[in-house]
Amino acid sequence: MTDVAAQDWHDAVVAARAEGYDWFDWLGCVDEIGVSDELRVVLSLRRLDDPGRPELLLQCRVPRPEPRLASVRDVFAGAAWHEREAAEELGVEFVGGDPRPLLLDGAGTTPLRKDEVLAGRTAEPWPGAKEPGEGDAGAGTTGAASPSRRRMVPPGVPAPEVWGDRDPAAPPPDPAEVAASVSGGRVRRRGR
Amino acid sequence: MSPTEAGTHGRIRLIEPACTSCMLCVRECPVWCISLDSHTEPDPDVAPGARVRLVNVLDRFVIDWNLCMYCGICVEECPFDALEWDADHPAAAGAPEGLRHGIPDLA
Repeated sequence: MTDVAAQDWHDAVVAARAEGYDWFDWLGCVDEIGVSDELRVVLSLRRLDDPGRPELLLQCRVPRPEPRLASVRDVFAGAAWHEREAAEELGVEFVGGDPRPLLLDGAGTTPLRKDEVLAGRTAEPWPGAKEPGEGDAGAGTTGAASPSRRRMVPPGVPAPEVWGDRDPAAPPPDPAEVAASVSGGRVRRRGR
Repeated sequence: MSPTEAGTHGRIRLIEPACTSCMLCVRECPVWCISLDSHTEPDPDVAPGARVRLVNVLDRFVIDWNLCMYCGICVEECPFDALEWDADHPAAAGAPEGLRHGIPDLA
């Protein structure tokens, strides 16, 4: 994995192509929230004259609040589709790229950013909120579960004090905090 | 060879006697397609004079095939092997309600 600065991105891709990495494999984007306040754009290139050789991976970190990067679609036309995907799903702006939306109608959302909350889930009752031995009557009414017991929180739904039912006068929630609370609430983690 | 080994992800079967209503599958399901009701009863198998022990009894177990994406996380997570892959597919239905299968349909 070769790190490239944002201003050198286009030149680095042109140089890699000149070096013989002339086959565009894929371009992806990762939300690095929780590690750093950045988005990571990764480009994978291969050599057609030596297909068995490991791919060349170029990566570039751009700041999350203003992710801007030069488009490489003039170097590899196929990258345009991947850039449109990254632009739409993670909000990366590719300067000189294809501005057309790919799937969404441009509602200004970035669904693959980790601080994007699945709003529908906060309204829908979670079937896993019940404790074992608890019937249809719902939370804490049947006497099967102790009322003092900590209730399970569904995955993908941050705590109300972080997102949703919060003080309207408070400043907007910290994206890292939202992302962290979204991944919490699982029953258990398996060791990998 | 089990259906999983053969690579078929047709549908998920519930082996009702093995289920302890522990709720793990319900909570692990990424699309929230499983729902389950249970109640507690005194265990009939305790020795006379021993302290009463409560066991969970499964009342209702529903997989909504409208929502299920056949990921198999529930099958993997079940600590009692009460869920397993089956080569058959859920029967087609004329309305969404018909794809919410309860204990008899999942057997």
